[in-house]
Amino acid sequence: MLDSRILLKSLNDLEVRIMLCKSAFEWELLAKKYVDVESNIKNFFKKKKIPENFAIALDRLRASLVQKKGELPPVDLSDFFK
Amino acid sequence: MGLIKGIAEAVMEKAKHEVKDYLIKFMEEEKEKEKKTEEIKKEEIPAAVLKESVKAEELKEEDDEDEEILPLIESEFTKFTYKVKPKDFTIPGELADIIKMLPVEEFACFIKLMMFVFEQKKNFGYLGNTLRRKIGLESFENEKFDKTVENLEKYGVLKVEQVSDNQKTFILYVPFDEETMVKAEYQKPEKPQQKKVEKKPVKKVDEEEKKSVEKENDQQDDIPGKAVFGMENDDLYKSYRTFVSLEIDKAKMRVGRSNFDKIYMEAVKYIDKKYGFKVLSDSEKFKEYLTNYYISAFDIPTFEAWKKTKV
Repeated sequence: MLDSRILLKSLNDLEVRIMLCKSAFEWELLAKKYVDVESNIKNFFKKKKIPENFAIALDRLRASLVQKKGELPPVDLSDFFK
Repeated sequence: MGLIKGIAEAVMEKAKHEVKDYLIKFMEEEKEKEKKTEEIKKEEIPAAVLKESVKAEELKEEDDEDEEILPLIESEFTKFTYKVKPKDFTIPGELADIIKMLPVEEFACFIKLMMFVFEQKKNFGYLGNTLRRKIGLESFENEKFDKTVENLEKYGVLKVEQVSDNQKTFILYVPFDEETMVKAEYQKPEKPQQKKVEKKPVKKVDEEEKKSVEKENDQQDDIPGKAVFGMENDDLYKSYRTFVSLEIDKAKMRVGRSNFDKIYMEAVKYIDKKYGFKVLSDSEKFKEYLTNYYISAFDIPTFEAWKKTKV
């Protein structure tokens, strides 16, 4: 059975990996991971309210993902306009 | 005295002969030495020549190996899209049997390409400069990546098509499954028909519905990056997209790299706040909204406004 501590640990691990992220490709993988962990947490607490520490960790993680995306080199739009 | 002189002359005569003999012997020995060294040299040269020729042959063989990549399959390449994107990324058994024979680099490249296009529900894509980075093969040099793609083409699991002077596309060999896939080539002629079909019911609907449809159309026009329905083939729209692209490039030059990075940072935050994280992590949607943000930030005319200037 999935323990809530495992979920919290995966959030913390993800935060460290975001700090070390250096490419857009890596960022996309981490963003997917974040979405997965978020849905796992929602599923885990589906009958109850998400605890505050989880909610805070999720918000912090999302903010750091957004921040990191902004810090990475701007997305190349040349392919998009072809 | 005469005797002594005679003895001395005899000794001198003998010494002369001995010296003469010694010199002749010495000369002969020298000649023999020279002969020996020449023979050794002659023996060594063919060995070196042989070594070089063996090396050359080995190199030739290596080159031949490079050149002589035989196709693993005689495949027919069909561009397709998935009807509904499968939940998980899977490799069909038939394909797995083929690609497991690929060298490790070609294998990795094929899988990465396949995963990349799978995300877009299809088996083809543009072979652009950023593809290498997009699929996470940054460790490969450009030349190495090109060579790997070339090899994949030789193995018959990938096809490169020259779409225009500057554009190339690749098609991956993935066994076609009628249940889950639709051939992409057949979709193209349907697009203008769809446009007509869309227009007809609009004429019949009530005025209110008309207004709402017009509003929707206006909103769509406001997003230049968005593929406006039925407009993909419209030359005017294409030239507008080129115009937007150039304007963004100009603005980038005008504001400078650091300022442009700041604007990009703001754009990311704005898109996340307004449209949600899902848009941020969906690369195609993100590009749409990012273009829209740039248009607003750099005062680039919207499609409607730009069209008026052209007409």
